[in-house]
Amino acid sequence: MATPYTEELGQAYTGVTVAQEAARCLLCHDAPCSKGCPAGTDPARFIRSVRFRNFKGAAATIRSNNALGAVCARVCPTERTCELACSRTGIDKPIDIGGIQRFVCDFEESCGMEVLAAGIPNGKSVAVVGSGPAGLQAAASLRVLGYAVDIYEAEKAAGGVLRYGIPEYRLPNAVVDSEVARIERLGAHIHLNTKVGQDITLDELKSTHDAVLICVGYSEPKMLPAFEGNEAAETAVHFLHRVKESAGTLSLPRSVLVIGGGDSAMDAATSAKKAGVPYVTVVCRKFLTAFRASKAELEAAQHAGVTIIDGYAPESVDGHTVTFRHREADASFTCTADLIVLAVGQKADASGLGLDLTSDAEGNVTSDPQVFVAGDIVSGDKTVVNAVRCAKQAVAAIDAYLGGER
Amino acid sequence: MAVKDLSIDFLGVHFDNPFCLASSPVGNCYEMCRKAYQAGWGGVYFKSVAPASFAINEVSPRFDTLKKEGTDFVGFKNMEQTSERPFEDSMADMARLKKEFPNKVLIASIMGPTEADWTELARRATATGADMLELNFSCPQMTTHAMGSDVGTNPELCEKYVAAAKRGTDLPIVAKMTPNITDMVPSAEAALRGGAAGISAINTVKSIANLDLQNLVGMPMIDGKSSVSGYSGKAVKPIALRFVNELYKRIPGVQISGIGGIETWEDAAEFILLGARNLQVCTAIMEYGYRIIDDLTSGLAYYMEERGVDHLEDLVGLASENMLPAEELDRSYKVYPAFDMDKCVGCGRCYVSCYDGAHQALAWDEETRRPVLDRERCVGCHLCALVCPARAISKGDVVIKPGFAGDPAAKKVC
Repeated sequence: MATPYTEELGQAYTGVTVAQEAARCLLCHDAPCSKGCPAGTDPARFIRSVRFRNFKGAAATIRSNNALGAVCARVCPTERTCELACSRTGIDKPIDIGGIQRFVCDFEESCGMEVLAAGIPNGKSVAVVGSGPAGLQAAASLRVLGYAVDIYEAEKAAGGVLRYGIPEYRLPNAVVDSEVARIERLGAHIHLNTKVGQDITLDELKSTHDAVLICVGYSEPKMLPAFEGNEAAETAVHFLHRVKESAGTLSLPRSVLVIGGGDSAMDAATSAKKAGVPYVTVVCRKFLTAFRASKAELEAAQHAGVTIIDGYAPESVDGHTVTFRHREADASFTCTADLIVLAVGQKADASGLGLDLTSDAEGNVTSDPQVFVAGDIVSGDKTVVNAVRCAKQAVAAIDAYLGGER
Repeated sequence: MAVKDLSIDFLGVHFDNPFCLASSPVGNCYEMCRKAYQAGWGGVYFKSVAPASFAINEVSPRFDTLKKEGTDFVGFKNMEQTSERPFEDSMADMARLKKEFPNKVLIASIMGPTEADWTELARRATATGADMLELNFSCPQMTTHAMGSDVGTNPELCEKYVAAAKRGTDLPIVAKMTPNITDMVPSAEAALRGGAAGISAINTVKSIANLDLQNLVGMPMIDGKSSVSGYSGKAVKPIALRFVNELYKRIPGVQISGIGGIETWEDAAEFILLGARNLQVCTAIMEYGYRIIDDLTSGLAYYMEERGVDHLEDLVGLASENMLPAEELDRSYKVYPAFDMDKCVGCGRCYVSCYDGAHQALAWDEETRRPVLDRERCVGCHLCALVCPARAISKGDVVIKPGFAGDPAAKKVC
C-alpha cells in the first residue's frame, strides 16, 4: 500500500496523454531544448519520435545517450536545462520534457528493450569506485566500449545518492533497481559492501585494473560548528538515508526544523512531512528567489505544507532552540523543534584513498595518470545529469589514456 | 536500435526503403529532392510535368487545412496542378539528381492531354535517367478536363494513354489513380492492359474543406471565389486503404504504391499489410518536413523486429486475407464491454454516447459516478469504449446469440 512517502510524485502519462503533450511540442527546427541538456540528450529527437508514434525509437534516443534515462526523467531540474529554452514558452508553458522522458523510459522497461550493447572485449579493465550516478554511467559507457568493469560500492546496495539520498516519492528504489540491473546485464560487476581504502586499497585496484575511476560523490555532510555535538541535530544526508531505508515508516517527532535551501533541504522537509511529521519548518539564509533547490523540489515542499522562511541565518543555538537573524533587515526569531536537520552542503569522503580531493578537481584527471575522477568531486553542478555528463567525459579520457584499441 | 533491412523491390526497381516523396509540392526541384535523399528517403516521385505548351498559372493562396482541437492538420486541401516550373528545368533537375544519387530511386511523373504528348513526355523523362515513370491520371484540380482525374475515371483513356507512354519508354510504368470514382479497379485494369506495371493509389479526394463564413466562399479564397480541389492527409487514409485493399484483392499479382495520409510508421505498416510494396508521402512532409523519415524507418524496423520478420517483403499483403465482404463475417456472437472501474474517471461520456448514439444500455449511478451495464440492452457495439478518454473499457465476455451455436471462447475478439 502506497503511503504519502512512497507514492511517486506527479501522475505518469498514459499512451493517450503523452501523445497530447508531445503534440504541444512545436517540433522546432534547430531545437533549443536539445542544446540545453548537460548530458547531451536530444529531447527534440525523442519527443518527435513520440509524436510520430515511435516509442521504441524514442527510448533508443534517450538510452543510447544516458544510462540513467529513467532517473534523469524524474530528478532533472529541467526548468534550468532543456525546458528553459523551450520555444513553446512563448505561447504558454514549456513542454513537460521530463514527464515525456519518464513515459518513454517506463515504456522501454515494460517491453524489456535493451538499447545498449556491450562492446567487443578489448582486454582491458577499469575499476570504478562508487556506484552513484557517475559510477553507473561510467560503467555503462565503458562496457559499450568493450572494457571489463568492476564497480566497488561501500554500501550494501548500489545507487549511491540515488538509493540513499533522493526520497522515494521523487525516485522510487524500483527505478534505481532497474537502472542498476540494466548496467549489470551489460556486464559490469558490482562488488557491494566494499569500501575502497578500507576493505581494499587503491593500490590493489591499480594493480588489478588498467585504470581506476573515482566517483565517490559528495557523500559526507557538512556540519555548522554551532551544532557540533548537539543531540537534537542531524544532517540531511543521515536523515534522508534513514527515512528512505525505512520507506518512510520510521517514528519521527512532532516538529522538525530544516536549515538550508538546496535540494537536500527540500527533500528532508518534504520527506518529514510525508512521513507524518505535523510541523516542518525550513529556514534558509538565501532569499526564496535564489534558492538552489529546483522548482519541482520547492513546489513539492510547499505542496506538502512545509513552512518556508527565507532570508534568515542561524545566530545562536541552545539545544532544540535556534535563534535566526535576518541577513539584511533588523529582525530575528526563535524556533524550537524536536529535531533539527542541517542541509548545509556536502563534501567528498576520500579517506583512505590517499588522494587529495579536498578541493574540486579540474577535469577528469589526477596527479596519478592511472586514476581518473568523475561526478560531484569534479567541479560543476552537483546534479545527476551533470554526473552523467562528467562520467562520459571521464570515460573518453580513460579510453584515450588506454589507447582505445579494440 | 532495431536494424532491419527495409529494402524492397517495386516493379523490378530496388528501393533502400519503401518511403518516397509523392509527386507533389514536396519534390519540385533539385534542392528539395537532394535534401530528401540525404535525409534517408528511398525514392522521389518528382513533381508532375505537363507539356511545355500547357502553361501553369497557380492561384494565391492555394492551400487550406481541416483541423480539430489541436494545431495539427486533420486534412489538407491543395489547388496546385503540375509543376509551374519551366519543363526543361524539371528535366535538368531530374538528370542532375540521378547523376548525383545513382543508388536512389527517381521516378518521373508525367501528364499530357494527347497520346502524342504522352509519348513525347515519356521519351523526354526517360532521357533524364529516371528509373521509372508514373503517369498522373488523377490530379483533381487541373484547369483542363483533358488531363487529371477526368482521365482516371475513364478506363478507355487510361489504357490508351499508358500505351502511348509505352511507345516513348522502356522503363516500368506506374499509373496513379484517382479515388474520385466508385470502383477504381476497371480503370486500374485498363492501365495494366495498356502496359502499366503497377498502380499508385490514391491521389487526392475532391473537396471543399471549409467556408469563409463572412465572405460566403470556400477556402482558400481567390478574389472572393474558390474551387473544389484535392484533399489529402490523415483524413483520407481510410479511403486510401480501402482502395489499396480492393486493388490487391481483385487484381492478382498487382504491385501497388500506396499513398494517402501516411504520417507514422503505423500508417505505413497498414498500407504494406494491405498489399502496398511502395509508399508515397506528401502532406506529412509539408507539415513536418523530410525529417519524419527517421521515425518512419525506425518505427517500421521495430515493428519488423516485433513480428520476427527480416524482409519487408514478408509483410506485404498479410492483412489482406482478413478483410472480407460484410456478408462473410461471423455474426453469431456479441462481445460485452468490460469496465475497469479503477481506471474510470467518472466523466460519464460512455453513458451519454450509449444513450444518445447507441442502445441505452448504460445506466448512470449518480452517487458513485460510474456506468452500470444493462446486459439485456447492450448489443456489444463498443461505442462506449471508443469515447472513453481513460481507456477503461475493453472487450469483455463473449456470448453466442440466441439461435446460433458456437464456442464463445474460440472467438477472436481483441
